[in-house]
Amino acid sequence: MVKLLQNSGVPIYQQIAEQLKTDILAGRLKEGEYLPSIRGLAKDLKISVITTMKAYEQLEAEGLVTASQGKGFYVNAQDSEMLREQHLRKVEDSLLEAIHAAEIAGMTDAELREMLGTLLDMKESQEDL
Amino acid sequence: MSESRKSKNITQAENACEDTKWADGKRLEKEWPGRAGSQAIRARNLQKKYKGFELSVPQLEVPKGFATALIGENGAGKTTLLNLLTGIRLDFKGEISYFEQQEKMSDSVQERIGYTGPGCYFLPHWTIGQVEEISSLLFTNFHREAFRTLCEDLGIDRKVTETVKKLSDGNRMKLMLAAVLARNTELLILDEPASPLDPLMRDKLCDMIREYLEQGAGERSVFFSTHNIADMENVTDYAIILEHGNIVEAGFVEDLKEKYILVKGEAEDAEKAREILFSISRSAYGFEGICLARNLDRLAGMDIATETPTLSQISVAVMKANTRLKL
Repeated sequence: MVKLLQNSGVPIYQQIAEQLKTDILAGRLKEGEYLPSIRGLAKDLKISVITTMKAYEQLEAEGLVTASQGKGFYVNAQDSEMLREQHLRKVEDSLLEAIHAAEIAGMTDAELREMLGTLLDMKESQEDL
Repeated sequence: MSESRKSKNITQAENACEDTKWADGKRLEKEWPGRAGSQAIRARNLQKKYKGFELSVPQLEVPKGFATALIGENGAGKTTLLNLLTGIRLDFKGEISYFEQQEKMSDSVQERIGYTGPGCYFLPHWTIGQVEEISSLLFTNFHREAFRTLCEDLGIDRKVTETVKKLSDGNRMKLMLAAVLARNTELLILDEPASPLDPLMRDKLCDMIREYLEQGAGERSVFFSTHNIADMENVTDYAIILEHGNIVEAGFVEDLKEKYILVKGEAEDAEKAREILFSISRSAYGFEGICLARNLDRLAGMDIATETPTLSQISVAVMKANTRLKL
């Protein structure tokens, strides 16, 4: 379920949103299923109501869930195109992080490209086995 | 009170209004469509004068369905404000209304509110059994069974013949909480509930507040005062910061965390940063301070690191900034 880190630097609401998003994209939370009630989740996670609410609002803004008056938030149908876009964004984020790390390590762009190439080759050869 | 102090207070209040996201229905609706609920308490133009102290609150809203913290230094007027809101003091100017129908204070409104005070309102010679007896006479919504279970839960596992005066401060607070939570209410007003409690019980108090809110499914609200912000941070949805009788900041905690940013930087930039930051503390190694997010651009060119502040850090910064104004 949801694991929260108090001192990770990532806001709590974002941690909740990310973990629920992963559950939705992986199909563990299915279309039409309701998320836990805002105040129920706040109680279970020992956090404030507003933090949970903000997490849910973020999921709603991303089109993953819909708020239904008086009933809470339910999971939307995930169309494959949007799903792919979500995954693409994740790849982009991870690559940006790698670029940042490379800058710190003083790697040149060419070295970074080479490393990516090597990693892809390694993965390919592993799959061939 | 001197004329100059008075005019200073007014400017301060105006500044706060300009800066603050009030829980005003219309603004809320625009910015927080999901939260545009009604208010548990609405107050307008509250004024209460004591010798050397004046509480002046042009506008106050406690949002329904949330836990709201009233934060302020000792002597900021927290208890005075809560006494006006609970009807303990009636000699004040201004208007207060309660719940969705915006009712005035009455017996039926009282019945829907639970209150614990900074002292103990049970007489010293009452026994725990008598507290139960008297509470059930006073309130039609008092559940004896619930009271006994709560006493057990909270570890007041004393005999019913134990008198109130023999209980420790912490246990007296627990007894008041048990008596209040044994009633079916819609609003809790708690004056410094955490103060006499040990860390374990403070944690339990937070749990109880969350559980109370959950059972209400958006219909119940809690309004508590505290100067232990750090202990209550994880249960606070909306914060109201009071300073010398004026509300200097109010808003949903997640909004405040976007409005203010914690900035750390190099010692050589401290002097320049001091003019831009909302509050700052300096050392030989650098500076740390709270910056209004909209002023962050003005720090461009400095080597800084930023972080989301905690509610404690925001509160201390706001309190410091406003204390300085009066010096």
